[in-house]
Amino acid sequence: MRIGNTIRLLCMTAALAFGWLSFDESSSAGSSRQTPVDFERDIRPLLHSRCVECHGANKQQSGLRLDHKAGAMKGGMGGAVIVPGNSSTSELIRRVSSADKAEMMPPTGSRLTPREIALLKAWIDAGASWPEEKIAVEAKRADQNWWSLQPLARAEPPMTEGIPRLWAGSPIDRFIYARLAERNLQPSPPADRRALIRRVSYDLTGLPPSPEEVEAFVSDSDPRAYEKLVDRLLDSPRYGEQWGRHWLDVARFGESKGFEQNHIINNLWPYRDYVIRSFNEDKPFNRFIIEQLAGDVVGQGDPNVEVATAFLVCGPYDAVGNQDEAQKQVIRANTLDDLITTTSNAFLGLTVNCARCHHHKFDPIPTEDYYRLRAAFEGVTHGERALATPEAKARYAAATRPLEERRAELNKEKAELQKSLAARAKEKAAQVAGYPLPKITRHFNEHRFAPVEARYLKFRMLAHSDNPKSAVNARLDEFEVWTPAPNARNVALGSQGAKASGAISRRAEDVAGADAYGVELVNDGKFGERWFVGAPAELTLSFPRVGTIERIVFSHDRTAGPNDPGAGLGPFVTEYEVLISLDGQTWRRVADSTTRPPINEAHLVERFSRAVMTEAERQRIGALDDELGRINRELKAIPPLPLVWAGKFEQPKESTYTHKGGDPLRRGAAAAPASLAVLERVVKPFAMPEDAPEGERRLALARWIAGDDNPLTARVLANRVWHYHFGAGIVDTPSDFGYLGGKPTHPELLDWLARRLQAHGWRLKALSREILLSQTYRQSSDYRAAAARIDASARLLWRFPPRRLDAEEMRDSLLSVSGKLDLRMGGPGFRLYRYLEDNVATYAPLDQHGPETYRRAVYHQNARSSLIDGLTDFDLPDNAAAAPNRIRTNSPLQALTMLNHSFTLVMADALAERVKREAPQNLSAQVRRAFAVSFQRQPTAEEERGALELITAHGWRAFGRALLNANELLYVN
Amino acid sequence: METYSPLALTRRHFLRNTATGLTGVALTHLLGPEIEAAQRIQHHSPKAKQVLQIFCPGAASHMDLWDYKPALEKYDGTPLPGAEREVTFQGKNGNLMKSPWPFAPAGQSGKPISTLLPHMSGYADEIAFIHSMTSRSNTHGPASVFMSTGFVREGFPAAGAWASYALGSLNDNLPAFVALIDVRGEPPNGKANWASGFLPAQYQAVMLAAHQPIRNLSRPAQIADAEEQATRDFLRRLNEAHASRHPGESELRARISAYELAAKMQMAAPETADLSREPAHVHKLYGTGDGNALKAAYARNCLLARRLLERGVRYVSLYCASRASGIDGLLNWDAHRTLKTDYERHCPIFDQPTAALLTDLKQRGMLDDAIVLWTTEFGRMPTHQEGTTGRDHNPDGFTVWLLGAGVKGGVSYGATDEFGRRAVENIATVYDFYATVLHLLGLDHERLTYYHNGADRRLTDVHGHVIRELLA
Repeated sequence: MRIGNTIRLLCMTAALAFGWLSFDESSSAGSSRQTPVDFERDIRPLLHSRCVECHGANKQQSGLRLDHKAGAMKGGMGGAVIVPGNSSTSELIRRVSSADKAEMMPPTGSRLTPREIALLKAWIDAGASWPEEKIAVEAKRADQNWWSLQPLARAEPPMTEGIPRLWAGSPIDRFIYARLAERNLQPSPPADRRALIRRVSYDLTGLPPSPEEVEAFVSDSDPRAYEKLVDRLLDSPRYGEQWGRHWLDVARFGESKGFEQNHIINNLWPYRDYVIRSFNEDKPFNRFIIEQLAGDVVGQGDPNVEVATAFLVCGPYDAVGNQDEAQKQVIRANTLDDLITTTSNAFLGLTVNCARCHHHKFDPIPTEDYYRLRAAFEGVTHGERALATPEAKARYAAATRPLEERRAELNKEKAELQKSLAARAKEKAAQVAGYPLPKITRHFNEHRFAPVEARYLKFRMLAHSDNPKSAVNARLDEFEVWTPAPNARNVALGSQGAKASGAISRRAEDVAGADAYGVELVNDGKFGERWFVGAPAELTLSFPRVGTIERIVFSHDRTAGPNDPGAGLGPFVTEYEVLISLDGQTWRRVADSTTRPPINEAHLVERFSRAVMTEAERQRIGALDDELGRINRELKAIPPLPLVWAGKFEQPKESTYTHKGGDPLRRGAAAAPASLAVLERVVKPFAMPEDAPEGERRLALARWIAGDDNPLTARVLANRVWHYHFGAGIVDTPSDFGYLGGKPTHPELLDWLARRLQAHGWRLKALSREILLSQTYRQSSDYRAAAARIDASARLLWRFPPRRLDAEEMRDSLLSVSGKLDLRMGGPGFRLYRYLEDNVATYAPLDQHGPETYRRAVYHQNARSSLIDGLTDFDLPDNAAAAPNRIRTNSPLQALTMLNHSFTLVMADALAERVKREAPQNLSAQVRRAFAVSFQRQPTAEEERGALELITAHGWRAFGRALLNANELLYVN
Repeated sequence: METYSPLALTRRHFLRNTATGLTGVALTHLLGPEIEAAQRIQHHSPKAKQVLQIFCPGAASHMDLWDYKPALEKYDGTPLPGAEREVTFQGKNGNLMKSPWPFAPAGQSGKPISTLLPHMSGYADEIAFIHSMTSRSNTHGPASVFMSTGFVREGFPAAGAWASYALGSLNDNLPAFVALIDVRGEPPNGKANWASGFLPAQYQAVMLAAHQPIRNLSRPAQIADAEEQATRDFLRRLNEAHASRHPGESELRARISAYELAAKMQMAAPETADLSREPAHVHKLYGTGDGNALKAAYARNCLLARRLLERGVRYVSLYCASRASGIDGLLNWDAHRTLKTDYERHCPIFDQPTAALLTDLKQRGMLDDAIVLWTTEFGRMPTHQEGTTGRDHNPDGFTVWLLGAGVKGGVSYGATDEFGRRAVENIATVYDFYATVLHLLGLDHERLTYYHNGADRRLTDVHGHVIRELLA
């Protein structure tokens, strides 16, 4: 029996201690109804709501506590208050029933109801059963003797009596057989070759074998045929894509920031490529670990190694920003918690994260261990850094430096010229006696002109409050055009038939049926919602008919008070011209902003500089601008150093402290980077000073994790390898080897595998090869009812456990069988959503998946909180957290996507094209080819007949759509 | 040493490791009665069977809607005592600012409700207010996710996912958990608010709205009915033959059934979403034809919510507004700068349709089975934000409410201080809130657990107490 389950059952059943309550009320009616009293349901809440305020953890009136068993049974200063089995002598009942004000309980508030008193009586009469407290249950927990914390054992593979000859030769098979024999289970016969090649191809590459590969393997008479197949697949670049994807699950890899804004990250894909490359190269995993935690230290100047630290920062984090100091610290603590969680789960199978607020409840992990890890990561922040070799950096500097120096010179000269211009502009401005109109405001501006006939009006915006040179990105909430009094009317209103047109600088595409920032907001008669002015910065109004107009009114925020600074509402229009037209072709200016004082010095200088500038100055500034433009273009043409989302590192400004109760505002003792106490007995510890150099901290931690003496790292990794080959690990909680995790089905085998992994120099391919060549792996997956009765999920491996394809395998398979799969590797990912960004990001699923999406799904740009047809519904994990084992569900929504999304139809058509091309003879040959590419077999006569009928009556698509939806394609045996 | 024993497979273990189920549907024919029983968790007899959660994203201001603060009128324009120029989410705060709208007593209880909510105030006697709610984050994204899942980080199951995991669906032909998205877009953190997190994918909400049908629901236009039938028939024959070659694999049978259920959903969902089947007086009640396009769109979602609940959808999350935008408070209740304009935009959208939905549910007797929750991610400051006429974020005290099956009406539980700055009486948490909701559904929040990455996870983390004062 698994202890973890036992405990959980205890937690669930502890509440079922009950007595029986008979209601006196109903006995008079002659039927005594018996209802069990449930302590958790009936008694604990009652004590809690009516007694514990004065008899609990905070106050213990008369020394009595009724919030835990020991206290309640002990009683108070006056002795016991509960006499189990005898309510009539229990002080508790006497007090709650008493009418004496000096004695009655509770002393204030409403009395207990007769039913509540009856419940208490019944409970006491039934023995006052009080289940053990949760805390007592939790005392059952792992200690330093816990199995996963022990050094790797050296177990001899057992030689069980009766083991088949074929099984006796492999240590793995000997371990497996021994456990089967214990349960009187027999292994299954070998799988047929068709099933085997399909199984191992999906396992190692995530793709089905081609019909030609199947036939070659089936007819290969070489005794090493299977071995050759395994080697070929391990050498395939597809291997790294499939197994790299597994690691990306564990690394909670996601290419957007998560949280509210969830902005996409476009330069994280180099890490995905690094992972795929590392698997394909069979990089020793201890090296892989060190690079991911400290690649910037061990591989300084080598972009191919430095990129690995993206492991640290490819999780979600809150990037919104916060002015509240306490919240800032909480956010930082949560950000680092993600690193601590991921690192300890991924490599060690330890849930160190559970020790953030208190010592781990179930594993011997002190809370100090959590802050030791935090100290190691204290200097890590999310972000990008330039990854380049020293030579590339030098080349880049050599190319850019002269240009930057020249640019600085030119800018200096220009600044001096402008300074002189500004001085004269101010003098000139000072000569202006006054302006007929007031200074522009945010909330209301009126401009009258001589009454004029107009059919069109153009409001040309020249500057806004933050930029005296351009009005692009200004905001306008309303623009009115008035006819002369009397009967003055605003003819600009859309409701009056006027039309506004103009460009926008921002769009909210996810807002259905309206644009949040559109130009129509300026003539809707409502204030406060603003048009975001685009380029060109012009508003054109066309009126339904020619009419006389004489003034305009415009505002940025008409709802604001005159002194409201409008912080954060964006800039408002400051310089403008008003033009009118009768035909929309010829325009006449009727008003402009020179009639108003400039709103600030920058505007003043801009306006009057033009008037005071000499021809020589004009030419010189023109020449300077030309050259600056040229330099900027040249600088832009130099390829920048690649910026990769691989994290930023800096020496922490202060020591790390433990947080009492996990609260960053309640500092405990300082914590220095050091090895974890939980493993101090078996792994050589390290300890560093509180102010140890930042990179050294991560490197020391990485080496400690990746050391040969660390039994957890090797065990966890060997188990992951097993997990991906068989669908379940020897421990079925691959990232949790603690007390609440699963127990190993084959502990000796697990340690044997861990040692083999180390013996192979931490190379996964060699370990996988041993597993794949075992008879255990090569068994048939056929179901046997008798065996299933003993071991339903085949955890003991009496057969190979069949499985459903994962989301990516599913999509890749459709592409593969239809002949459309694009095998280009690496580089920026493709997207199965439309990315919309307006303050926050929205990921809108696509109705059409074009050829640019026909690459393997591992190259999909894997954004968080996105809904991807065909992937999300097939359990693509929510990469907010690590997904050490994929869930495989079955739902009607999967059927809807697979039947109805246009992707399936396009793939069905492609499959038809493919088989027509590859089997041009006749329809029957095409049907057989379609079965061969989809299911790696020929159709039965009945299937072929049915297919021919279907195609004849309804065409190829009807047939292809069925094949692509078939269970046979979706399951691996 | 204890090791794995295959005989010790519990039902729970089975669910955890194979997670073979459907969208809470018809497990009986797929996996046998034992699994069915395991799936439908019940700890005590439920008071409610369904939940409608109305969510006003952007942090709807408690002291401008539900939590009347006369002291704000008295001390309007003076500093908040003891917290002058306090720095909160966006920066410094100015003086106290009274609500721009008067409050009026409502119902028998005379509960003061903002006059901005004339229709909703008619429900004052039936609502159980929690005025002392608190959040762990002052930022929309994490706080929304906290309100939806009990955790400030993404990756945890929404309350609706927990409910559908525990209780399954009441209608095989519709999803158990539906998120009705506002026409203005998704709330802060979008889909993380209705995700299944580490629960199997079938427990996540299906997104839907009156303006947006379930994705991939309809047969593609180019496929005729006869072709569809022929394809399905051939597929079923392929699958039957395959299943008979693999006897004992219950999953294969389950998948065949899933295709049949999908076909039923294709019939049932459009019927449910077809609002034209409602009589004119119902449309009028909700305001689906209102000249305010945003109000009309929300009203249609309200009406759709009723139709979903009526047909047995277990948990409906109905959003009124969406995310932060380039203009504060334009798309949601986040009134940082212009409270008055913003709420005069949002309240009319919210008020009539929501009240109509309550009226309709009540008239049909549906509140005997359904609880209605009104939530938002946090509250707002009693002060104005420096330089503005809006309010900054305030996670220290705000209002949420419950109504309907098993809920005591006319209750105001907990209180903020006299200005509404922070909860001071019966301070409540999101954990308490969901402990109470689960309690009403017949579930013990401490016993509804799911193992994930080293912990038996709960909707209420390791906290929460049922707020018994709210129970009828």
